[in-house]
Amino acid sequence: MQPVTFVLDLLWAGWTGLLDYLAAHVLLCLVPAFVIAGYMSAMIPKEAITRYLGPKASRWISYPAAAVGGFVLAVCSCTILPLFAGIWKRGAGLGAAITFLFVGPAVNILAIAYTGAAIGFDFALARIVLSIIFGIGIGMLMAWLFRAEEARRAAEMQDNGMFDQTTAVPRAVWAVFLLLIAVLIVGTLQVDLLTGTWFDVRLPVEAPGGLLATLEDLSLTPQGALLILLLLLIAPVAYLGLEHVLEGFNRWTYVSMSLVALTLLLAAPQVTQGSLVVGITGRFVGEVILLVVIGTVAARSFERHQIAEWLWETWRFVKQIFPLLIVGVFLAGMGKAILPEQWVQTLAGRNTLWANLIGVLFGVFMYFPTLVEVPIARMFLDLGMHRGPLLAYLLADPELSLQSILVTGKILGRRKTAVYVVLVTIFSTLAGYIFGLALSVI
Amino acid sequence: MLSIKVLGPGCSNCEKVEAHTKQALGMLQPEGGYELTKVTDPLTISEYILKTPGLVINEAVVCEGRIPDASEIMSWLANALETAEN
Repeated sequence: MQPVTFVLDLLWAGWTGLLDYLAAHVLLCLVPAFVIAGYMSAMIPKEAITRYLGPKASRWISYPAAAVGGFVLAVCSCTILPLFAGIWKRGAGLGAAITFLFVGPAVNILAIAYTGAAIGFDFALARIVLSIIFGIGIGMLMAWLFRAEEARRAAEMQDNGMFDQTTAVPRAVWAVFLLLIAVLIVGTLQVDLLTGTWFDVRLPVEAPGGLLATLEDLSLTPQGALLILLLLLIAPVAYLGLEHVLEGFNRWTYVSMSLVALTLLLAAPQVTQGSLVVGITGRFVGEVILLVVIGTVAARSFERHQIAEWLWETWRFVKQIFPLLIVGVFLAGMGKAILPEQWVQTLAGRNTLWANLIGVLFGVFMYFPTLVEVPIARMFLDLGMHRGPLLAYLLADPELSLQSILVTGKILGRRKTAVYVVLVTIFSTLAGYIFGLALSVI
Repeated sequence: MLSIKVLGPGCSNCEKVEAHTKQALGMLQPEGGYELTKVTDPLTISEYILKTPGLVINEAVVCEGRIPDASEIMSWLANALETAEN
């Protein structure tokens, strides 16, 4: 019976890994992250950023703009490559274009939010800061290395007016954008103001006897279980309400919006273990206020079709990414049970340059769909990988997939692409190493 | 003959554009026929547009970065037919 028990144990490991992730923690970060991603995709026109990337723009503007652009415009991996190709071929400096190419996948809002919740905020912050610094660094280096070619290109480039196009982005768009980011931060930041309980509420219901015990066996809290139920409920409701939202709202659209707001509110309070006393936390209060403000501003300033596009883009990302993510988490749960800690710890257990390089190489050669690299990273962390090499892996994985290297090669030519890949490898290794060092010092 | 290109690497947005385009073509039934292609290569896409999805009729970009509905597409197709005749 050995193999059967083995397989069952494995499946159980995957399953509990999944439950662990789906609970309060991750919902709190992924739900607003998807909404933000959809928002940026639908509401922020590319002209708002591309106007700063032209050949005439000063370096002090184009590089930061490229970094911001990478964050705001490149949410979907499918948009990064045509955007990169487009801005470069139409006259953006090589440096700014490379910065955009690098920062886009590195500072992807979904990945950052998920990294923060699943691995730690130090990580997410390091990922953001180091990606931007190194993105600009790599861009500048490449612009310098290829300066002769670039000078020739700039002289030949016809002024095609692409970078002169501007659009007036209404203030409400930026306002709601910042509010949505606030929702994400308020929902996930581990700070006393937010996690401290302001007052307690005792639920006026009695929990059925065995329920709490059964949930504990499954390593679930009642709050976590309720949230998972809610998540399962949202899936079909969202499908009914959002699949054709571009053609019109229906009552399911409103229900899905309410359910999404509900998940945020349900995940915020602090439930005392093993009882039905609900602590109203600062987080809860903050979320209520923010959600009300966002709802009011959006209802007043945005037209129906804009909200429809926002909902559609959010839904599209969820459809594209979430199912694969579930599979990824499940596999990572299983991987954690099978992979020998010895291997992980020998290769990457300490913060050496070599270990960081291994992290990077692993990211290059193992392909994982968007976001799946995060549960895999978590698995390695649990198996004993040091945080330095882990960051190196997380930085390199979205950047250097074989597919994106091939396409970049067609756009830039083999020489420049080879230089880019080498630079990314070096910088990711260094970034991980520095991060590992910084952690031991702080 | 009308040349129509749907630009997009294969995610649900460009598929919706393609579906709406086929709807519009079905309703319009352009004389002289048409040729509908899906362009997925990022390099070729970037020659027309920056932000996917996109729609190109007779080598002119009519739509970029959003999903037009079938009636909009019909009016663009009709315009293109008219310009082609003149």
